[in-house]
Amino acid sequence: MTHRILQLFPELTNVNGDGENALALARRLEWAGADAEVVPLAEGDPAPGFSPAAVVLGSGVDSALERTRDALATLRGQLTGWLAADVPLLVVGTGVELLSRRVELPDGAIDGLGLVPGEATALPGRVAGDLVVDSAWGRLFGYENHGRGLTLDEGVTPLGGVVRGAGNGTGSDGIRLGSLFGTHLHGPVVARNPRFAMALVAAIAGDTIDAYAPGRADAVADAVNAATARRLDLS
Amino acid sequence: MTTRPPGIHWAPAVLVGRAARTAARLRKRGGGSAVPGLVVNKLSPGFLGSVLSHFPEGLVVVSGSSGKSTTTKMLVTVLEAHGKRIFTNPSTANISQGLTSALLERVSLTGRIDADMAVLEMDEGHGALLSPQFEARTVVLTNVMTDQIDRFHDSEKVLAYLRQIASRATDKLILNADDAMLMRLADAPPEVEESPQAPSRNHHADASDASDASTLQSLFDEAGPGPAQAPRGAGTPTVELFGVSEQVLAALPRGLGYAETTVARFDGGTMVTGVSGRSASIAFDGAIHEVGLPARGIHYAVDAAAALAAARSLLGDGFDAAVAVAAISAMPAVFGRGEVVTVQGKQVEFVLVQNPASFQLNVDELDEGLDQVLVAMGSDVADPSYFWPVDASRIGRARIVTGSKAQEMALQLIYQGVQVDEIEPDLAAALDRFLALPEPERGVKTIVFTADPMRRTRSHLGLAQ
Ligand SMILES: [Zn+2]
Repeated sequence: MTHRILQLFPELTNVNGDGENALALARRLEWAGADAEVVPLAEGDPAPGFSPAAVVLGSGVDSALERTRDALATLRGQLTGWLAADVPLLVVGTGVELLSRRVELPDGAIDGLGLVPGEATALPGRVAGDLVVDSAWGRLFGYENHGRGLTLDEGVTPLGGVVRGAGNGTGSDGIRLGSLFGTHLHGPVVARNPRFAMALVAAIAGDTIDAYAPGRADAVADAVNAATARRLDLS
Repeated sequence: MTTRPPGIHWAPAVLVGRAARTAARLRKRGGGSAVPGLVVNKLSPGFLGSVLSHFPEGLVVVSGSSGKSTTTKMLVTVLEAHGKRIFTNPSTANISQGLTSALLERVSLTGRIDADMAVLEMDEGHGALLSPQFEARTVVLTNVMTDQIDRFHDSEKVLAYLRQIASRATDKLILNADDAMLMRLADAPPEVEESPQAPSRNHHADASDASDASTLQSLFDEAGPGPAQAPRGAGTPTVELFGVSEQVLAALPRGLGYAETTVARFDGGTMVTGVSGRSASIAFDGAIHEVGLPARGIHYAVDAAAALAAARSLLGDGFDAAVAVAAISAMPAVFGRGEVVTVQGKQVEFVLVQNPASFQLNVDELDEGLDQVLVAMGSDVADPSYFWPVDASRIGRARIVTGSKAQEMALQLIYQGVQVDEIEPDLAAALDRFLALPEPERGVKTIVFTADPMRRTRSHLGLAQ
């Protein structure tokens, strides 16, 4: 069977390359011997008639927030259903914000879908730079570039604790809620963080494949992260 | 406008600038130094605006994320073919110090340039900073790309800069109808800002640019932004549109690469209705014209449409479509995607990628099955993840991936199915090994690099910068 990785509205949400996590997941599945394909869903397309193996939603520019929210709203029923069915959802940056209840903007706020129990609120200033997060899958490395943080409701679990950078702006980053993984680590977080990727691949394919076999790119990712850790003086 | 008119009061500035130019030439053969402009901007902050605002037939400013250089060249070519004498700037001089240096090449002691009209390419950020100093008859805006290598953080900021530049247009605003962000300027005509917002100066990659920015800042610190701008005499500029047809857009698997593309196509204006190799069909005034392009690709066709739209509006009844089309079609071809040089007796093609859009464009135009490609990504790319939306799979096989961001670049290439033979962060070592490889079986040795490794490569190989 072919694992179909649904990439949501890449024309609106791939500004930082977050949408390419769909490619990264598909490639890792292929490297493990499974069939996989990326299925992009464009704004205005009908909801997919299949249940995806995983869903990737990335980050976009502020001027496209409302458009993206409206596009997502047409999928509300599907998104709720996929979460109930434990389909992994990897959501980055403004993607997480739009799934929360509310996104604070300089000239008012817009409503999100309310699937994530929290709100996106303005940080004291825009942050851009390395983001390092200690998570259940070890130390995650990446880059952040955003002006808002994420205030989660009491008792909601973040993805991890911030070692460097801003993340949610509260000392932690992202959200972990059932099969939803949200983060401010933008760009190809899956490619950059092999152990996190292995966990997602395992959640997609179960024990039909060896999800924990390192991909051939993992040594390169480890080298990138080791260099970042040295540069940031992290032990 | 509050700029001082040309006159003998500018003579000291011009003389100092010429002296600085001579000094710079003596130190660095070949000229092209930005130092004279820097000196004059510091000495006479009003000089640049004064010269720019006093061409008999006005000033045309071309800005936007990409395509401004080609559009400027095409527009100048068309205007000259109609007998106009044009002052323009080389594309390497699109920030204020370079502009002033370029002016000093031609200016008289009284601050006049013997030309009918000026057509200038301006960097978005520096253009915004300069905007209170000039008034432009026409402003042409090409596009807003998500070019986030390091400069502006996000496209909203780029749009704010372009809005400031657009606010200086007195007559015409020529906009890309396919760019949804630019079209917001058409919906709400830009207003003159009370005080200019200086572009962020803490994010520049290279020192020469930063030094220019601090000169600009000192200009504002010392002189202030000037008295409140006089209201524009002619009222709001009228908007002219250019863009591509539905069929052209539908045939582009990756779209046009703008930060946001408009949902609906426009009618009228100057429209690209077809592109094939190095020729484009461009419709205006009820007829379709076949235009030869200096290189393959949709972006050159859109640049030609922008230039034709601007020329039609500037020349009015004097515009001759046949003359304009012939002028653009006669422009020299851009060789391949880049520059071919001979190094140690071997031909090497250089392909510069400056942002995700140009990376995609250039990779799409590479010959398939090249067997000797070197890819270099340097510290000028603050965050390599921006490049991930570029599908680089056409590279096929990279013999060496190098530069200070070599591992990041290699990670993307591997995930995109490119065979990566070797990762060598040391650029000099990588270049030496790459050049030592026997002649390729297919095509020429091809080096794809970002701006920083380009400079280092040229310097390592002893080529002119
Ligand atoms: Zn600058």
